Amino acid sequence: MKSAIVCEHVVKKYGSLTAVNDVSFSVEEGEIFGLVGPNGAGKTTLIEMIEGLRTPDGGSIKALGFDPGKQGDELREKIGVLLQTTSIQPDIKVKEALKLFASFYKHTVGDTEELLHTLSLEDKANSRFKKLSGGLKQRTAIALALVNDPTILFLDELTTGLDPQARRNMWDFVDKVRKEGKTVFLTTHYMEEAEKLCDRVAIMDYGQIIALDTPRGLIEQLGAESKIIFSIADSEMEAAGFESIKSVSRAEKSADGFTLFTKDENAALQGLVRLADKQGFRLTSIRTESPNLDDIFLTLTGREMRE
Amino acid sequence: MRGLWPFVLAELRLNLRNPAAVFWSLAFPTLWVSLFGALFSEPMPGFGYEGLNYANFLLPAGISIVILASAFIGMPIALTTYRETGVLKRLRVTPLKTSTLVLGFTLSQFLFIALGIVVLFLVSKIFFGVQVLGSWPALLGMIIFGMFTFLALGGAIGSVVGSWRAAAVITQIIFIPMMFLSDMFMPISIFPEWLQPICQALPLTPLNVILRDIVYGVPIDNLWQLAILGGWLVVGAVVTIVFFRWE
Repeated sequence: MKSAIVCEHVVKKYGSLTAVNDVSFSVEEGEIFGLVGPNGAGKTTLIEMIEGLRTPDGGSIKALGFDPGKQGDELREKIGVLLQTTSIQPDIKVKEALKLFASFYKHTVGDTEELLHTLSLEDKANSRFKKLSGGLKQRTAIALALVNDPTILFLDELTTGLDPQARRNMWDFVDKVRKEGKTVFLTTHYMEEAEKLCDRVAIMDYGQIIALDTPRGLIEQLGAESKIIFSIADSEMEAAGFESIKSVSRAEKSADGFTLFTKDENAALQGLVRLADKQGFRLTSIRTESPNLDDIFLTLTGREMRE
Repeated sequence: MRGLWPFVLAELRLNLRNPAAVFWSLAFPTLWVSLFGALFSEPMPGFGYEGLNYANFLLPAGISIVILASAFIGMPIALTTYRETGVLKRLRVTPLKTSTLVLGFTLSQFLFIALGIVVLFLVSKIFFGVQVLGSWPALLGMIIFGMFTFLALGGAIGSVVGSWRAAAVITQIIFIPMMFLSDMFMPISIFPEWLQPICQALPLTPLNVILRDIVYGVPIDNLWQLAILGGWLVVGAVVTIVFFRWE
């Protein structure tokens, strides 16, 4: 597969602050690539350097084979950009904005009506941008990003500030784009979102990429553990009693039951059931929690990824 | 130049949707000339230009007001608003070239100003029979020269200040006293002597004087004043280019 984006040792400094610190990675064609990290990690600085909005202080960037700094005009023909906060002329109507933006490109989707339909904006075609809700503004901004039928779509903070329903709509939309074979480069500070949408995820913290893999790969590579959470009836057991189960690394007692930590849910569950049989207690309200990217961030940095 | 005309037309349409722009550039100068034209319908004694009425006296000042309301007050507010809200940044990630953007912005301003002047002239012509005694091409040339100068000065202010509020306040703080000091309503000679050179150096003074000479059809013997206007054009353009920021 060809690389759509290649970054090598990219550095960006603002005064004494190094916003992006020696970052190297590549994004393959047709891939949904996620850049995840807390606010201020350098995600937006990085994505804006690839879009050609900012000039790196060091390293090199190639997007679709173009240097965004020197060949920005060629690159901009082929990319669609959703900025962190997109604003267009407040009094422009949605339909007018699409026509206007379409006029800037050599190659366009052709039918802007179709685009309105894709983003369920038909009803709002004649509404002024400033009158739209946050979710509708975001959809309009995406329609504008798609007007040139881009090869790479950049989505900076796709769902920040949107209500749960609007977020879900955005996720469905990314799925649609994936099926069209476009390359998508997105940033988010929701781990859940990255996990759900992305083929590969780069975790960024303090200007550096501290891990990069498929969501599954990250979880496995870092050995984050699944949890088995349950309570028991008809028996007095101490947490230590469960640590004898094969593959259980650790057991904790909480107010209403126990939590077992394991890298092999399957073996641990079997072991737990056998133990219940042998010791004659009954398992109640049992459930398992697989590790997610939030746990990965915690494992990597020792911090929770919260705003 | 791809996207130039769609951009010009979009901006022009947006100007027409902006109540403040419509009032100050399209309605106010016409209302002002009409109101005073109706109040002083007799030719003014001692006014000096035979056959010209008061509305005709005000016409060149009305033209100046249209130009300043758009180029010097409206444009910097639009520019800073676009910068503050990220419109410029969004346009920058499209293939629209900076030169096309600047030209498009200028052309849309020109068309809007032209519209304001046409409305002003037609209303004053129909109701007050105003005339342009000098050369029309000279009038058009002077309007364009004035527009470029004040677009450059407005652009300079819009580039230097951070917010649209600051741009609105600063342009109006400059505009209001400048109106009185620039030979628009009262001759500069009534001011104290130390103030008169400052009056002469204001960018609005040459615009007012030369527009009036053209409308009244008197020979223009003050072409040196064009150099003052040109000087301000250069200053405005240089400051704009040096200080312009996309975000």
